[in-house]
Amino acid sequence: MKKTLLSLAALTFLASGAQARTWDAIRQSGTIKIATEGAFPPFNVLKGKELTGFEVELANELAKQMGLKVQWVTQPFDNLLIGLQQDRYDFVIASHGITPQRAKAVDFTNPHYCTGGAIVAKPGGPKTAADLVGKTVAVQVGTTYLDNVRKVQGVKEVKTFPKDTDAQAALMAGRVDAWVGDKFTGLDLVKAQKGKVVAGELLFNERIGMAVKKGNASLLKELNAALAKSLSSGSYAKISGKYFNTDVRCKN
Amino acid sequence: MTASRPKPLGGAALVGWSVLAAAAFLLLFFVITLVLRQMPDPIGPRADLFVEGARMTLQLTLVSGLIGLGVGLIAGIQKTSSLWWVRAPANLFVWLVRGTPLLVQILFVYNALPPLLQGIGINVQLNEFWSAVIALALNVGAYNAEVIRAGILAIPRGQSEAARSLGLSSGQTMTTVVLPQALRVVVPPLVNNLVALLKDSSLASTIALLELTLAGSRVSSESFQPIPVLTTVAAVYLALTTVMTLFTDQLERRVKIASR
Repeated sequence: MKKTLLSLAALTFLASGAQARTWDAIRQSGTIKIATEGAFPPFNVLKGKELTGFEVELANELAKQMGLKVQWVTQPFDNLLIGLQQDRYDFVIASHGITPQRAKAVDFTNPHYCTGGAIVAKPGGPKTAADLVGKTVAVQVGTTYLDNVRKVQGVKEVKTFPKDTDAQAALMAGRVDAWVGDKFTGLDLVKAQKGKVVAGELLFNERIGMAVKKGNASLLKELNAALAKSLSSGSYAKISGKYFNTDVRCKN
Repeated sequence: MTASRPKPLGGAALVGWSVLAAAAFLLLFFVITLVLRQMPDPIGPRADLFVEGARMTLQLTLVSGLIGLGVGLIAGIQKTSSLWWVRAPANLFVWLVRGTPLLVQILFVYNALPPLLQGIGINVQLNEFWSAVIALALNVGAYNAEVIRAGILAIPRGQSEAARSLGLSSGQTMTTVVLPQALRVVVPPLVNNLVALLKDSSLASTIALLELTLAGSRVSSESFQPIPVLTTVAAVYLALTTVMTLFTDQLERRVKIASR
């Protein structure tokens, strides 16, 4: 028994013993590995084989500023931060809301955009947090939307889907009364469904950041510097305008 | 002085066996709850979520296992028929279900079946549980059909010839002579399918049915600690299949009549 415990401990140590690549190591290799989900339009989405979206273009822009080539990795959302801890890639840009719980596990950059969780339902459905009482809500597993819907008293049931697009499909199929998700994604959904659904109020506001492995300070510093440069040089505003017709940077 | 053979299972004994099995599972859930609550974070505080997931997994397995047994019995008997138009639908069903992945079947029943049914005027709203039950029951039913067909073919021809020459109709021959013997032969492979079904039910996590696997991925995405979570999930699955096979082994022993 002791032996098994020891070997288990050794295994976990091996699994976590690898070192995150520091800025110097990344610069030497010339390529940065970035992970995202690829199922969260309009931020990161796979169109056929091509990965595109606001965050994908932004990350490509930041890498260009840092003089690096990019290698993209796509993973299920709830696996992204776990893979980061196992050094499968250098950083994650996948619309992660900055929460204390997550900040315990990873280090966040300064926010690269600000948004909120919106309630979307069919016409006549719930519009506000108070309306959600006794209703079923679809959200994606492992998201801040799930945490925040749980905080609403009296919600009948919260259904968690592996992908946000699945959660939206559940709303369209009438399996749930409301979907809670990103406000920009919600606007896209309303536009795409042409009046079959309407956007309600914001359930909460959140700041969205990129994540690096806990303690990888050199990379964090470089990313923040590249982001600040992009915000001031106008390249950020250009990408944001292309996707949202407005500047989505955090105003405070 | 003849050695006393175990008697074949009567109705009362079967009821007793089911009651015992149910009690054993209740006890198992009690033990799992107790053990998981003692565990450190991230497992301990969320023990109830795991138990709820395990209960859903078991419920899914039992309901779809029972329906699947019926489906397999009907399709298996159809496949041994001498009339082509009786065989054809069963052959088509087994061909379709065995030739496509279970994950696709679950997603199909959940996402594609309701609109298709609406198209032909049947308005049915399948929730997550029943979508999963339909897909799993049809899937295990197809595999059971092949098993039951093999069992029927394993009964020597002389048995049915003797029954027919004694004046039994072909239906009576099937229900009173062939099936009782065939079903004893096929208990082990049917149990095999049931255990596989319990593990396959994890695929229902893709349609947001809160069973054991989805409970695990919720906890793991909240706590970012995949190692303890996945270990716990695997251990609970193992406990479920272990208790299940304990009882099916008993069943096997009891339905054995004069044989090796």
